[in-house]
Amino acid sequence: MSSNRNWRFLLSWEGLLTFIVILVVLINIRLSPFFLHGDNLINLFGVSIEKIIVALVMTFIIINGEIDLSIASIMGLAASLAAWLTEHGMDFSLALVCSLLAGVVCGAINGFFVAYLEMPSLVVTLAGLIAYRGVARILLEDRSFTGIPPWYNDLGTQPILGQFPLSLLIFFALFVIAFIILHFSAFGRLVYVIGNNKDAALMSGVRVRRVKMTLFIASGIISALAGLLYVSRLGAVQASIAEGFELDIITIVLLGGVSIFGGTGTMVGVGLSILLILSLRNGMSLASVTGNTQSSIIGLILILSVLIPNLAQQANQAWKRRGYLSRPKEAPISKEGTL
Amino acid sequence: MLRPERLRELSLVIIIFAVLLLFGTQIDNYFNPRFFRTITSGVMIIAVVVVGETLVILTRNIDLSVGSIVGCTAYTVGRIVADNNSISPLSLILIAIGMGALLGLLNGVLVSYGRVPAIVVTLGTLALFRGALVEFSGAKSVTTSTLPVWLNDLGQINLFSVGPFDFRILVVPAIVVVIVFQLVLSLLPYGRRLYAIGSNPEAARFAGMPARRIVMIAYVLCGALSGLAGFMFLARFGNLTVVAAQGMELQVVAAAVVGGVSTLGGSGTMVGALLGAILIEIIGDSLIRLRISEFWKDASLGVFILLAVASDKIILGRVRDIAARNQRRLEQTPTQVAPQPKAQKDSAHVQ
Amino acid sequence: MNVKPKALKLLVLAVVVSVATAFGPALRAQGADPIQATKGKAINMVLLPKFLGIAVFDQANQGAQEAHTELGNTGKLEFLGPTPENSVAGQIEIIKAATTRGVNAIMISNNAGDQLVPSTKDALAKGMKVVSWDSPIAPDGENLFVAQVDFAKLGTTMADMALDILGPDGGDWAFLSASPDAANQNAWIAATKDALKDPKYAKIHLVDTVYGNDKSEDSYKAAQGLVDKYPNLKLIMSPTTVGAPAASKFLQDEKLCDKIKVSGLALPSEMESYVKNDCAPEFALWSFVDLGYLTYYTTYMLAAGDLKGVAGESFVAGRMGTYTIEEDPSRKGGLRIIMGPFTIYNKDNIDAAVGSPAATMDASMAATMEATTTK
Repeated sequence: MSSNRNWRFLLSWEGLLTFIVILVVLINIRLSPFFLHGDNLINLFGVSIEKIIVALVMTFIIINGEIDLSIASIMGLAASLAAWLTEHGMDFSLALVCSLLAGVVCGAINGFFVAYLEMPSLVVTLAGLIAYRGVARILLEDRSFTGIPPWYNDLGTQPILGQFPLSLLIFFALFVIAFIILHFSAFGRLVYVIGNNKDAALMSGVRVRRVKMTLFIASGIISALAGLLYVSRLGAVQASIAEGFELDIITIVLLGGVSIFGGTGTMVGVGLSILLILSLRNGMSLASVTGNTQSSIIGLILILSVLIPNLAQQANQAWKRRGYLSRPKEAPISKEGTL
Repeated sequence: MLRPERLRELSLVIIIFAVLLLFGTQIDNYFNPRFFRTITSGVMIIAVVVVGETLVILTRNIDLSVGSIVGCTAYTVGRIVADNNSISPLSLILIAIGMGALLGLLNGVLVSYGRVPAIVVTLGTLALFRGALVEFSGAKSVTTSTLPVWLNDLGQINLFSVGPFDFRILVVPAIVVVIVFQLVLSLLPYGRRLYAIGSNPEAARFAGMPARRIVMIAYVLCGALSGLAGFMFLARFGNLTVVAAQGMELQVVAAAVVGGVSTLGGSGTMVGALLGAILIEIIGDSLIRLRISEFWKDASLGVFILLAVASDKIILGRVRDIAARNQRRLEQTPTQVAPQPKAQKDSAHVQ
Repeated sequence: MNVKPKALKLLVLAVVVSVATAFGPALRAQGADPIQATKGKAINMVLLPKFLGIAVFDQANQGAQEAHTELGNTGKLEFLGPTPENSVAGQIEIIKAATTRGVNAIMISNNAGDQLVPSTKDALAKGMKVVSWDSPIAPDGENLFVAQVDFAKLGTTMADMALDILGPDGGDWAFLSASPDAANQNAWIAATKDALKDPKYAKIHLVDTVYGNDKSEDSYKAAQGLVDKYPNLKLIMSPTTVGAPAASKFLQDEKLCDKIKVSGLALPSEMESYVKNDCAPEFALWSFVDLGYLTYYTTYMLAAGDLKGVAGESFVAGRMGTYTIEEDPSRKGGLRIIMGPFTIYNKDNIDAAVGSPAATMDASMAATMEATTTK
């Protein structure tokens, strides 16, 4: 029984990811003497910390059967708004609060169109991607804002607990919170139920709209937070800040085993996917593999990590069919004809 | 009784006219011949890709790599013809289509036979194809001076003119592609199967449809059409760097979805997708001409797209409501189901 | 961070600047012999362009490789760049990785504005040399900036080209730039606007600045928008190598070349046909091969300890001759080396320039303009 369960874990998505993560880490250690340095391990998270923070909330949205393409633009908008308000004489701390509120507003706009007007989230947030970035552009135009107080810049660059900078601590805290909410709360159950079958959820009295609205608002505020953390790390703001992050974030979530059609996926999977992508990127950067070569390799691994187990399974089934004459079972990892 | 697809197309046409009217009052000399040329030559490239994308989306899949395929073929074909100016136009077009089809085949095999989710495959190949292009290019650009004269002039050849409005010859492939594939969808068994697979993959498989092959062919066609679009891209812009057509995938998916193609598969038409492409192109190109600060453009574009889709949703919702009510009154049979139950549900929520 | 030392530093700088500007040329004239590079040291270096896939950056790499071989550096020279769509985060990632690996020097064409400063400061704190080229970093995030031209001078040149093309009657003209966040393009446009205050430019009106995001298709459409918006437009000035040919192609397609011209900064090889059909009568550019070469020399000598990296030091940069580190008037507290001169291309010299692939400078055939190095 117990060995059976172990076997099943190995076959599961999380098991596979664990295996690949270990493999990548071993290769990194072998290739670069710097990989295991404390600085580098902080760096590994540090250079993508904002993306992985947003990936946590994106996991909820995708499991819920929706998508939010406007996250990177909300990050940019929050950062630019904080800069603009400070330029216009507002106290920086107060500007930060206002920017978080702006994130709430953006999320609520997305949520309103998706939940209450029942428009496809893909279109709504695609429009949001363009519009929120546009507002950031209106605010900062072609200027670069550098008037960030030193204390805030230090917050992003200096460790505050042991070797950990603030954003990393926030990420770990959010990860734990997200894990608990998704897997151990009633709200988390609803997220799955709606993602699995929205109509059934509606009929059984689930307040689908409220859940969706909550998720998009959460996505807005977390994106704004991530945008502001990005500012603390960069020490300057331009309207294009965080542009194009959405695809990286979605890639992380999908590699974590979350189905784009909703209803399946776990926080553990996303956590492992974060580890995998970050250590891959870090390892390649240390090995001086950058730019399009790096993104190509990540693309390739994204495909192969699903393809190889699928092929193995198909081969296994073909072999079994010959042996037992049993019906081939559907591969658990993928569904025919799904995205 | 109008079918729901026709209704949606009609409401898109109304919105397109509303947008034209709105900009017409804001921009001097808005309806000039150049604007007409701009819109048609902008739409023609996007339209060809949108048709391919629609084929894929109908099967409840997606192709995010189209921008990279267009860029790859445009650039590669450009380099080929730059090195060998005497190559014939037909063989050049065939190379473009063939190369696109090959890239599409890779997507298709991975999705249908490798059983890898489409979004994973095409997010991957989006990066892979572009990466290969950057690697292969050696950072060189394709420039008009290296292209043969016929290719540089191709974008300017007039097919015919109506008054001051010119129809460029490159519009022909776009129109042919849209019509042919609309006919494929509505008349050929292959078209009906695409809808069937998208609506319910399980049922389609139980009904004995070769689902994998059908999906794969959709990807190959999408790739081939993107290749054709790549050739048109080269003919229109002439100067290409390795970032050519980057980000086009979002524009294409937006056009399809605005045009009523559901990302959940099984519903949508080529005409609708074309109208979606036209709407987005008109909004984008008009904003460029509007005398507002450069920095206000993106925000306006986003708001316009959102409003256009929302008003489409609301107009449609109302019309469908009325249609459904009339039908119920006429039929007076409780078992009667409206043509699309999903649409009914949508309209119920708008209220 | 303490305020007082900073204020003090600024004061000292101000004094240094004023002294340097007053006595700079004199000091230089009586200075010691220019410093020579110590060849054959092992110095690991990274050349970081704005992003990959653009011709001019590869040319800079050619120049750097040439210098690398010439100086017999036994270390490694790596050409690493981000993807165009991920340029800011990508540049930071590459700098972080280079810092972790402990390379000796990094040469950056900044595409991230001030956002790069914290990571380059880290690099500096670890004892690495950070030299910017093409597009500078804020002064406290770098050792010095290898400027392709004097930015003010380039502003005047663009204003002059506009005046030249528009003629004595003047007319409307507009900028078609890369992106609103490109630091060097912004600086050049600002310098041009400064230059335009001179009354001799009174009749040429700069009406707008639009952006083509360094993509051909976007630049083409941006040019089209300009033409539609401004019926009296007579010139599109594109200070980026992607924008100029795209705008020219648009004008040619619309048969507007008699009415509207293109100028700016562009590669001769990409502009040949437009110069010949008079769409783009003249434009300017410097050699990116030389810029890469000079950047490499400067950085190598800094990292090898030949140069201390202070104003007033003169050194020999191989085949390119003697250069001097000076205060950068456009960036308070910054140091720069001006490469100069650059070339104005027109139908008289375009053939010769295209004949030599990388737009390499040849004073005998080019209408060479002396930049302000010898001012």
